[in-house]
Amino acid sequence: MNKIKKVFRRLQPARLNPPVAAYRIVQLTILVSLFWKWRFFLEANDIYANIPVEDPFFPDWLRSVTTIRLAFWGSALATGIGLITSSKLLRKTSSWLGLMGISLMCIHQGSYNDMTFVTIWWCCLWSVWLAHRMETDQQDVLMRRAAFLSRLIISLILLGGAAGKWTPEFWSGEVLFDIYFVDRDFWVFNYLRENYEPEELREIAKWYSRQVVIVETVSGIGLWMLPSRWAALIATIILSGIVLLSNKYLVSVIACLVGLACAGFFVPRRPRKADTPAPSKPENPVAG
Amino acid sequence: MVDSTDTSITHDEQQRDLGFCCIVAFIGMIAVWLLLMPWIPGIAKHSLQRFHLRTPSFSVWAAQFPIPSMYNFANRYKVEQYPPDFVMMILDENWRYANHFPARVITFFAGRYDFLSSKQDRWFTLKSSYRGQILESKFHLEPLEEGGYRLIRIDEVDETHE
Repeated sequence: MNKIKKVFRRLQPARLNPPVAAYRIVQLTILVSLFWKWRFFLEANDIYANIPVEDPFFPDWLRSVTTIRLAFWGSALATGIGLITSSKLLRKTSSWLGLMGISLMCIHQGSYNDMTFVTIWWCCLWSVWLAHRMETDQQDVLMRRAAFLSRLIISLILLGGAAGKWTPEFWSGEVLFDIYFVDRDFWVFNYLRENYEPEELREIAKWYSRQVVIVETVSGIGLWMLPSRWAALIATIILSGIVLLSNKYLVSVIACLVGLACAGFFVPRRPRKADTPAPSKPENPVAG
Repeated sequence: MVDSTDTSITHDEQQRDLGFCCIVAFIGMIAVWLLLMPWIPGIAKHSLQRFHLRTPSFSVWAAQFPIPSMYNFANRYKVEQYPPDFVMMILDENWRYANHFPARVITFFAGRYDFLSSKQDRWFTLKSSYRGQILESKFHLEPLEEGGYRLIRIDEVDETHE
């Protein structure tokens, strides 16, 4: 009988460590974000080498194609190491290296405008913080904080999108009409162009744009206030919706945020009041 | 709705977390900046300048990179083969919208390839607007003999309120 019990114990999966699992999911989705537009980056590599643009606004080294290559590969390598390593020191070091590499991408002439690197940067900041906290013996508290921080970051990014759209050109749909409805090759816009007249398209663009402004505003202001699991679920739905209804290249911007949102699913459920054992009467060491 | 146990920073000695506290404060500062942008024209002006690479100092511009700005402002751009005001009547309808950082049409890979692979002079006009505030910038991209281009800011004065 004892032998059977031992065999079953061995067969039980190793206990999942929620902070490590959440950390690894974020590293994996950062890699998805980095490599989603891989073909674009290959082309960019050639273009930047062949058509340099001298602009005194940027320091020379932040216009250099060598810097962008090192920053991209350095952060990808560091994130890959962070994903697979079990060494705490290596995890911390790789998180810092990833953050530094992505920081360079955020201010380099060839990549500053790509929001992919801004969303990855926030995920890297979260990773640095978590990598330095994993040794705690209060894993539940850590996971609650990690989830809170994750939804706070996602709220901020959505709020950043919303605030810049609180302007008549977005409320009228004029901006998104030109960017998406005129000639964007994506299933939603191809379908709409094939089935509606230009005037109808303008009206659809207006309501599409208003929907974007409202969803980003409401989730930017309110998402962080939701309970962990609800916030994770709603953030995943909203972020996936942004990709499905706008363009596939946004996967690179959104994938790491979906990974970050998943941190909420690792927060341990609180025991219900009925399940909580009643506190036992303290023993009186003098009595008896 | 917010669960205070998620955010408690100094519940007891073991739970104190300065890093967590700093990140939350940093996010709070950026959120306040974003929420004030529609109401304080100075913040919007600063952000528009950031989009046109016209912040007075590179360091100040670079320090703003964590501020998320996906699809912010109404950004239009126009690319011409001739200097501004030359044959303007013919080409004035070439405005297109860019999602964010409209100077990307000069610096980012696709725009760089589309507009600067001809090795000929190009003039870019960028116009961004936000709640009546407009910033317009003009750039001359001059081809270099050794390859590539030199970016020359030719007009940095147009800043108006509608």
